[in-house]
Amino acid sequence: MSRKHILFAAIALLLLIFVPMGQKNYIIYVLTSWLMFSIAAMGLNLTLGYAGQISLAQASFMGIGAYITALVTLAGYHWVLGWIAAMGATFVIGLLLGYPALRVQHHFLAFVTLAFNTLVFLVLRNEEWLTGGSHGLVGMPRPDFFGISTGKNLEFYYFVLVLFVISALVFSWIVHSPWGRAFKALRENPVRAESLGVDTRRITLLAFAIGSAFGGGAGAIMTPLVQFIEPGSFGLIHSLKILLMVVVGGAGFYYGPMLGAAVVILLPELLRFTEGYYLMIYAAMVIVLMVYSPGGLIGLGHKIMARVRPKKEVRKDMAKGAQL
Amino acid sequence: MIRKLAMTTVASMALTSTAAMADVVIADVAELSGAGAAAGAVWHDGVKMAVEEINAAGGILGEKIDLKEYDSQTDPQNSRAMVQKAIDDGAYVLLGTVYSSSTVVNMLVAQQNGVPQITGSESPTITAKGNPYIFRTAFGAQKGLPKLVSYLKDGIGAKKIAVVWANTEFGKGGYDAFMKIAAEQGLEIVADVPTEQAQVDFASDVAKVKGSGADAIFVYLTEEESARFLIEADKQGVELPLAGDTVLVSQKVIDLAGGAANGAFGHVGLSAEAPVDAIKEMAGKFQAKYGYGADHNAIKGYIGAYVIKYVTEQIGEFNQEKFAETMHGLCLDAATHPGVLMDVCWDDTGEMSRESFLVEVVDNAQQISKTLPAN
Repeated sequence: MSRKHILFAAIALLLLIFVPMGQKNYIIYVLTSWLMFSIAAMGLNLTLGYAGQISLAQASFMGIGAYITALVTLAGYHWVLGWIAAMGATFVIGLLLGYPALRVQHHFLAFVTLAFNTLVFLVLRNEEWLTGGSHGLVGMPRPDFFGISTGKNLEFYYFVLVLFVISALVFSWIVHSPWGRAFKALRENPVRAESLGVDTRRITLLAFAIGSAFGGGAGAIMTPLVQFIEPGSFGLIHSLKILLMVVVGGAGFYYGPMLGAAVVILLPELLRFTEGYYLMIYAAMVIVLMVYSPGGLIGLGHKIMARVRPKKEVRKDMAKGAQL
Repeated sequence: MIRKLAMTTVASMALTSTAAMADVVIADVAELSGAGAAAGAVWHDGVKMAVEEINAAGGILGEKIDLKEYDSQTDPQNSRAMVQKAIDDGAYVLLGTVYSSSTVVNMLVAQQNGVPQITGSESPTITAKGNPYIFRTAFGAQKGLPKLVSYLKDGIGAKKIAVVWANTEFGKGGYDAFMKIAAEQGLEIVADVPTEQAQVDFASDVAKVKGSGADAIFVYLTEEESARFLIEADKQGVELPLAGDTVLVSQKVIDLAGGAANGAFGHVGLSAEAPVDAIKEMAGKFQAKYGYGADHNAIKGYIGAYVIKYVTEQIGEFNQEKFAETMHGLCLDAATHPGVLMDVCWDDTGEMSRESFLVEVVDNAQQISKTLPAN
């Protein structure tokens, strides 16, 4: 990791610490929900952006994580137990969902994951004895840590910020590790990756499992954040929303999902002054972005920088290198 | 160009200064987009009309209402964020949301902050949670459905019923209430068909209830889905009586179903066609102002805004805690409080009672067949 990278991350972290101070509850709530969705989108970025496996089931993993955490905390256990259980369960389920990915690719895989999302939604809604059905689960407490409460919105924000930083560090470690390079190799050329000794089978399953565990972790945050969960919050439309975050921000870029989540959550807020038109403007902006920059906002930034920044001038006689 | 700019600046300054003079902030959090827009947008128009009237008549305790609108996008989590925002913006009382699945989420925030909330939701669970800040503008399904079940049993002599319901917070609440009452009254349920929110194709659902051997069909869906169901039932030539509550025979559904709603009947808490002069007058003004007919949601929103005025004037100050305390057990009569349109009372849970009506759809309009006493 370069020194520039670390400096940028440090400044961003300082901003995240100071920005919510003195803000109203609503702003803090929106920021917390942005951090939470960033974690979910980070997971999908690993599966989709780095490993190239499309998944339309991220919201269902959030749902599984949220319900497990809710059931654990409602039973009187500490949130941390719920969190571990949520991430563990989603890791295993993600691993299982990864198996079809070994056989089907691209849009077929999208349909497999889409079906999985619908399945989870139906289970959450119909198994009333466990999940409360359409009425959902309500009244989950916010956790205490060594006597420090996270009950107030600002306290809860810092709690989520800590989890966000942990997730971001883990994510950074993964993508910069040999695994991360194996994920990219899988995305770029699976045949070549395999010929170089990468176990593509294991890597595909891992991409799904780790990505899903991030989703489960985000779900574990949603439970005490909203303090009410119902199946409708984890439907297909929400998986598409997380996919939009990854794609708008820039799939395969480290900061892509964080930027994307910010755009998807905050932009409708900024456009709210246009009243009835904001959803139309928002939708049009997404279409324009996708047409001009399939690499998302970070891809767009790279494009602009490449134009503005003076190019390294190669000596004409050296252009062809050793051929001369 | 400069002139234009100057004009715009002056105009916007004038606008902001009027907003600054308006003192009491009332927030309307409603389904202005998404699957619930057919209900939320109408509710919001009802609220707006009442607020304009109240402001024209001098406001509340001499202060003008600054009505702020928030779009929940029919998303429970977003509605929670919007309620938080409304409270941050200094809302004195909250109006909305209409969809029960949103209200059960956002009412927690209003409760935590001690802000009274007047909702248009009808799910029985809303007032069963012991929240002292929630108040209804229309009674919950558990109050209306016994009247409908008695009518199905005694009025049309039905013994076997097919039930079509929306598998959402709203639908599940009504469904549970209906099944309980139907069992008590000895009605047999021969088909039980749950449906999805925003479902488009009802062909198989209609076929199922058609072949179930039922004497009548009970339909408990939200606006757009009700209309789609009615259209499909019409297409498949279903001759059975179609019964529902407020939504099935609401003006919005009648408009959307375009003729297919004729013959449907239901028990209605509020209707623009009710034989009540105040409601007819309100509905006339609404039609003239917005160019479409008022339905129960418009009336609920209208009443909600007036309730804020009357209760505040009764306590003589803008005090949220006193507001909630006063509303528990309060009765407002329409003679001295014309904005509530009909005599109305609230109990200790925020549940309300009022006269109601049996309605049949004839020639694309509601026809009141009977007025039922408050319970």
